[in-house]
Amino acid sequence: MADSHTHTSPAPDTATEHTLASLWHVVVLNDPVTLMSYMVLVFKKVFGFDDTKATKHMLEVHERGRSVVWVGPRENAEAYAYTLQQWHLTAVLESDETH
Amino acid sequence: MKHIEVKLSLPVVAPLLDVIKTAADTLQGSLAAPLGVQDIDPEFREAWTEELLRSQNDELATLLALFDKEFFATGTVSFDAENGEVIVRACAALRLRLRCTLLKTVADEALESGEIAVETLTEAQRTAFMCYLFLATIQDLIIQHIDTLSADS
Repeated sequence: MADSHTHTSPAPDTATEHTLASLWHVVVLNDPVTLMSYMVLVFKKVFGFDDTKATKHMLEVHERGRSVVWVGPRENAEAYAYTLQQWHLTAVLESDETH
Repeated sequence: MKHIEVKLSLPVVAPLLDVIKTAADTLQGSLAAPLGVQDIDPEFREAWTEELLRSQNDELATLLALFDKEFFATGTVSFDAENGEVIVRACAALRLRLRCTLLKTVADEALESGEIAVETLTEAQRTAFMCYLFLATIQDLIIQHIDTLSADS
């Protein structure tokens, strides 16, 4: 990641209502181009994170190459991945079973 | 509606516009960030891609529209709540595309830090790198003011 509302979010996190097997992780991957300030902005816009939480996830992406930014049902996870893609961030979905 | 007006140096920015336009053209039919989600229904995937391409093209058109007759007359561009986020996204898409095209031989570490020995670059790469930095500057500027711009919309 490089130094430096359109809010189409799906429904709120209802992960606790689902079994573990049905949970999916939305994982944002690092790239060397995206500005840190941009990624913080995206996390705030898409997930409603405050500055502290958005920055924490951004630093995780920057330092570890990835960050799990949301966990929940597949359908919602896909909607989040789509929204992140609209912001030109690369996001993958991983089943809870892989974690 | 609140807006930010930025006066740019025409002699510096004008030569970058051809690179920006060319990069934007190459994005007409492909996404700046390839779809990360692989295991989805092919029809669903196609619909996603079409929608994403449409919004990406709209973003690029909004960015390119900044550099109109008025810009060439005054050197001024204007950002507001309506176009700010869209332009920030267009800049992100273009920077990703420059990385994959004109800057593909530049090491990721160098792109990430922005510290590049420009004398090692070809003329085309140098202009592309200037573009890459220019787009980041626009992004930073808008991001710094985005809350102010939105507050009044």
